[in-house]
Amino acid sequence: MQWCLHVKGPRDLDRDLTLTSIAPKLAAAFGDAAFTHVAYGTEFCENLVTSGAGARSTYEAASARGLEFALLTPYAGERGIDRIREQFQALRANAKAEFVFNDWGALHMARRDFPHLTPVQGRLLNKSLRDPRVTTIISEASLRGGGGPAAMGSLDALQRANLDNPSYTNFLARFGVHAVEMDWLPQGTDLSFADRGVRVTVYAPFGVISTARICMAAALHYRKTEKFQPGAPCRHECQSHDVTYTYTNSPFQNRDQEFLLKGNTYFYEYSAAMISQMAAEAKTGRIARIVVQPDLPMFAEAAA
Amino acid sequence: MSVHAMKVLAPIREIDELDMLLKSGAEEFYCGIVPSEWTERFNGPVWLNRRSNKGSSLETFAEMKALVDGAHAAGVPVFVTMNAPYYSADQIPLVLELAQRLSEDCGVDALIVTDLNLMLRLSELDLHARLHVSSVAATLNSEAIDFLMQFSPQRIVLPRSVTLEEIARITKAAGDRVEIEAFILNDGCAFEEGFCATTHHHSVGAFCTNLSDMQADFSWEGPRFTARRERWLRANLTDYREWVWYVNGNGCGATAKGLPYGPCGLCAIPDLGRMGVASLKIVGREASAFKKLASVRMVRDIVDRARAGDSKLHVIERSIAMRAEPKHCESGMMCYYKVEACESQ
Repeated sequence: MQWCLHVKGPRDLDRDLTLTSIAPKLAAAFGDAAFTHVAYGTEFCENLVTSGAGARSTYEAASARGLEFALLTPYAGERGIDRIREQFQALRANAKAEFVFNDWGALHMARRDFPHLTPVQGRLLNKSLRDPRVTTIISEASLRGGGGPAAMGSLDALQRANLDNPSYTNFLARFGVHAVEMDWLPQGTDLSFADRGVRVTVYAPFGVISTARICMAAALHYRKTEKFQPGAPCRHECQSHDVTYTYTNSPFQNRDQEFLLKGNTYFYEYSAAMISQMAAEAKTGRIARIVVQPDLPMFAEAAA
Repeated sequence: MSVHAMKVLAPIREIDELDMLLKSGAEEFYCGIVPSEWTERFNGPVWLNRRSNKGSSLETFAEMKALVDGAHAAGVPVFVTMNAPYYSADQIPLVLELAQRLSEDCGVDALIVTDLNLMLRLSELDLHARLHVSSVAATLNSEAIDFLMQFSPQRIVLPRSVTLEEIARITKAAGDRVEIEAFILNDGCAFEEGFCATTHHHSVGAFCTNLSDMQADFSWEGPRFTARRERWLRANLTDYREWVWYVNGNGCGATAKGLPYGPCGLCAIPDLGRMGVASLKIVGREASAFKKLASVRMVRDIVDRARAGDSKLHVIERSIAMRAEPKHCESGMMCYYKVEACESQ
């Protein structure tokens, strides 16, 4: 299994690139390992797409250390797609780079104009429900026998996605997509589709709950009547703070559950039980790679 | 495509709403169906069409056939949602069977689909019903439109978050290859709907509105988290929660006359018509018959004025007057689109 580190830029590579050093909780579950891959970029925000030069310099720094490179790209409107194109152009000469797409437009553009880049389906295009408010509750209730056969059918569906349809993974293969990324699901994850040869990457320790083109943090500097407009330019206000929501209004017993907001995206952090499930699944060989994100993955490009 | 060709697309839940909505100005319908074949196998948050299995959709094919026949008698098409974010391999045979029956037995005109695997499988069936790509597919740019053309859709529904500037680029790129549909009235979505992995299951409700009642704690990543900085962040959070209230149909409220509140694009209708948008979507399959009726009347009123050549400024004034509570329009938080009052070329 490969280990990939999501970095903010070349400086993050000047450290001890072992799992024990960077993510001790994961190392305790999986054992120590050395990182072989580097991920750079953003999956969630078109305003955080870095310059082509930033992508290029991180690629070169990774290559100099013998690390493979993957460029993360977000869902995007027209201007965001233009920015992603700049990044692809900066990697034009590099045959070994992967790019992770979370927008079908990015895949379409890359296959037409940058066919040397290797596409990987991003986790936002995996549509499994990831709502920790309720999916864990449903999972526990179903396993206790509550709700009858329909509940078990539902739990089975909730632990999968469309990836378990061979027609879909064959469709992806037509575009050169042989690897997919995902989160570890609060309700449990069925990776049996990986037995058909699909390479699965799992992120840790944060899963995505929801994301938006309208960003609370980006509104900080706007007058009230101008706030919360899609596509509005921002000053990367998200870099100054994050928000922890506590599920104090839960109708269930999980009132200590936390949801983490950074910029335009909400995350959940994997529990120790979820990390143990992942480690057990890794032993079956169904997880090809784990991307470690030591911080909430909303990085702006550092000033040159 | 022009404002004259632009259609008013209304939600409908049962045949009893048909005559009322036709007389109010609906020019296209969309609805859902959740037959017992689905509910016997799936419950909880596993929904066939983005709405709770009970109360938002028709339940039998006989009801659907009657609705489609009635609408067709008036020359109005009916589209049916099969827009779950995904269907697993275990679900897809049932979904394909439903699609076949809706198309060939009930005569529905189009199926509204999110899951690319379902688009792919439907494209192999050669059904009478055409394909509409759901807003949940999150088609945000013209490159994505080009990608989706391999499924030969008749229409692509744009998400709520696209701006007028983006719609202009997308409709220009789409040309006459595919119709573009845009949201025009009622409920919003605080998140990007196609990338929101939460459920609106009744036990917890929508995550976005749920957050407004949760304890929120800020952590500052700079050198000092001063009291002034925290007040600044908390004031913004209060504004955000107010915006979410608007997104949620002004707390699911109504005017003194009973007209529906909530996100609105009426002022943008002249711009959307000029850009070549084919259809204006009113949200709310699950809404009351009265809310649907009032919504259709409002949209049709503005569309008729735009068709008659009323100036954009008059359209905006009329729209604000119809919403009946100018303070909500002035807040800027109830608008799907940011509209410039000057005439566009």
